[in-house]
Amino acid sequence: MNDQHSVTGLYQAGNSSHSTPARAMVTERQVVIYQQQGGQPVMSAVHGDYRFSEAIAGLPVDLIFADNSRFIPDDAGYRWKHLSKSQTITEWLETHWSAVLVAAVFLPFFLWFMVAVVIPASSNVVAESLPQVVADELGQQSLTIIDAAYMEPSELAASEQENIRQRWHDILQRLNIPPDTYSLQFRRWNHGANAMALADGTVIVTDSIARLMKDNPQQLDAVLLHEIGHVEHKHSLKILTQSTVTSLLFAMMFGDVEGMGEIMLGAGTGLAQASFSRDMERDADQFAFQELQSLGRSPQDFADAMRALEASHPLRIAAGQSDCTQDCDNNSTEPGFFDYLSSHPATEERIRAAEALAEKQKMQQ
Amino acid sequence: MTPTELPADNAPAASSRTASIEFSGSKSAFTKLWLVNLLLSIITLGIYSAWAKVRNNQYLYGHTQIEGHRFQYLAKPLQILRGRIIAVVFFVAYGFISSLNPALGGLMALLLLLLMPWLIVQGLKFTLRNSAYRGVRFSFEGTYGGVFVHFLLLPIVGVVTLYLAMPWVVQRIQKYTYENATYGGKPFTLNTSAGEYYKAVLLCLGIGIAAIVVFSILMSVFGIAAVLSSASEPGYGGQMSQGAAISFIIGYLFTIICFMFISYLISAVYQGMIRNHIFNNLSAEDIFKTHSDVKLMPFTGLMITNALIVLFTLGLGYPVTRIRKQKFLAAATTVTLEPAIDHLVNTVDETHSAFGEEAAGLFDVDLSLT
Ligand SMILES: [Zn+2]
Repeated sequence: MNDQHSVTGLYQAGNSSHSTPARAMVTERQVVIYQQQGGQPVMSAVHGDYRFSEAIAGLPVDLIFADNSRFIPDDAGYRWKHLSKSQTITEWLETHWSAVLVAAVFLPFFLWFMVAVVIPASSNVVAESLPQVVADELGQQSLTIIDAAYMEPSELAASEQENIRQRWHDILQRLNIPPDTYSLQFRRWNHGANAMALADGTVIVTDSIARLMKDNPQQLDAVLLHEIGHVEHKHSLKILTQSTVTSLLFAMMFGDVEGMGEIMLGAGTGLAQASFSRDMERDADQFAFQELQSLGRSPQDFADAMRALEASHPLRIAAGQSDCTQDCDNNSTEPGFFDYLSSHPATEERIRAAEALAEKQKMQQ
Repeated sequence: MTPTELPADNAPAASSRTASIEFSGSKSAFTKLWLVNLLLSIITLGIYSAWAKVRNNQYLYGHTQIEGHRFQYLAKPLQILRGRIIAVVFFVAYGFISSLNPALGGLMALLLLLLMPWLIVQGLKFTLRNSAYRGVRFSFEGTYGGVFVHFLLLPIVGVVTLYLAMPWVVQRIQKYTYENATYGGKPFTLNTSAGEYYKAVLLCLGIGIAAIVVFSILMSVFGIAAVLSSASEPGYGGQMSQGAAISFIIGYLFTIICFMFISYLISAVYQGMIRNHIFNNLSAEDIFKTHSDVKLMPFTGLMITNALIVLFTLGLGYPVTRIRKQKFLAAATTVTLEPAIDHLVNTVDETHSAFGEEAAGLFDVDLSLT
């Protein structure tokens, strides 16, 4: 008789809506269900031959037998002794505010880690492993959209284009980059001096930037090197994979959370993209600095180019913010000089980095 | 010992009886459960979300009782996880391909559209077959063709007729959905009339127009008051324009709040009326008949405060609103049960494919029958 106890409840048939008030006798070895009226046994099973339903706050834990019949305790709070550890722990977590609190404190760090470390790292891995055909397709797609909706054919004189093209070929040659993997395009764009790189190695130079740097072609070289840096680092592909990975992860994490999902998704993606694009600009800058030095030039060229660009967009500086919302939506997957004005201090910082390096180079000579 | 045939001795009543629906869920308990499951889902990168969904549903189903019998949600988390992974992979591929090649993306979207009726059928099947009461499962018997006509073609008719036919279309869709549901193998009958849907829409239209008229009067009174007060302010022109700017901002916020309020009001009135109409005309042959008495004023109040709770808690108040609504609807519903309910046989076995439900969920197809 030791360690034997009984629980009252309802015995529910497995394959029909029949049920009867019953009593479960639990012994060391097994469970026997007796009908309340008359007391005949209707079911028995040794421990391990039946399952428990999930333990959920305020609900009884049913015994589920092999034929799908159930014993449902009357006392919703009754918990069986043989309930598994994981079920007990889950219910404990779900019924304690302290668990909510701990998780809520931990969560921001976790999300930050995902957004700042895991997502960029994994998208980089994916981007590096994508075949060239993806980059080609993406680049052509972007160029088609740009031509259809945003830019017009260049109005630069053929001789001017030829000058820039000549310098471009020199740069590629001296960097040992096969010229047919890149293509230089001239376009007219009404929103000021700019240059941009597409995934497939197409670099677009706007008429305004060509004119702005006509008398200082070494500045344009620095800008072109920055754009080549974007292509060499596969930045367009990385942005594409990054936004894909982000939406994948967030869809998984917040998939069926009504209301919350959208807010979190928006905030997370925005955050991730902001930090990602800053990092990419820095990488492209580093590439430009390095190659300028290996060409025997000074990173000062880059600093001068940035200043010239800044001076040519006075209104945006005054506003102190990017107007990318309008102009860059179309090619948000394309890093270019669009972003260089996205925040004034960042631009200042980039200029200072270039000048510091130029200074160091001068000292070494 | 082998399982024996259970004697049917639980007081088999000879005549029909009326029962209320008891909902025993609590706001704080469900909030804890929902939050912990949300946090576990996030920390496991979404893998746990399948378990979270099952546990949330089990809480809500289990706390709903008729005659002391609890509803059961029987879906297996692994089925849901598998469906979710397939759906997410598909959508990521779709997003990736359409950003690379819009033409190919368009083709995929078209295929998806053709796949949609199948997804809806699968989704409804999954949800209903995993819902049970007294050990007997619900099911859905709709077909691809039927869903194609009702969910894809009829809405086009609604749009082509400049939405004049829309109430009729919605009535047809809901009738089709409910009438293809079964319980214990017995089909549901839903005797709704399109006239009631038109009545609800017209009433909402009337409320909307009246509310906008009241709002416009308030605005013009407010506008005149603002002009007078800024004109009476002594001082410089600069100050006057500042006053005007402030009243403009206040007016703007007031407009947004009013329109949000009006839209919540209208949607609550519509939902309440249609809910009553559906649940007063829903039955399953010889098994049950439902009755609904949702009072529009308190229901509107509930829906508006629920919307405010979700808004001001950035969505975290969702479990509270869910419990409030569930409690309210349960209290407004009664069921007439026929003796046959005590002798039903389960005709449905456990089933597969949660993919349909997941994909349909990502598409924002609302499959809920409540
Ligand atoms: Zn850049």
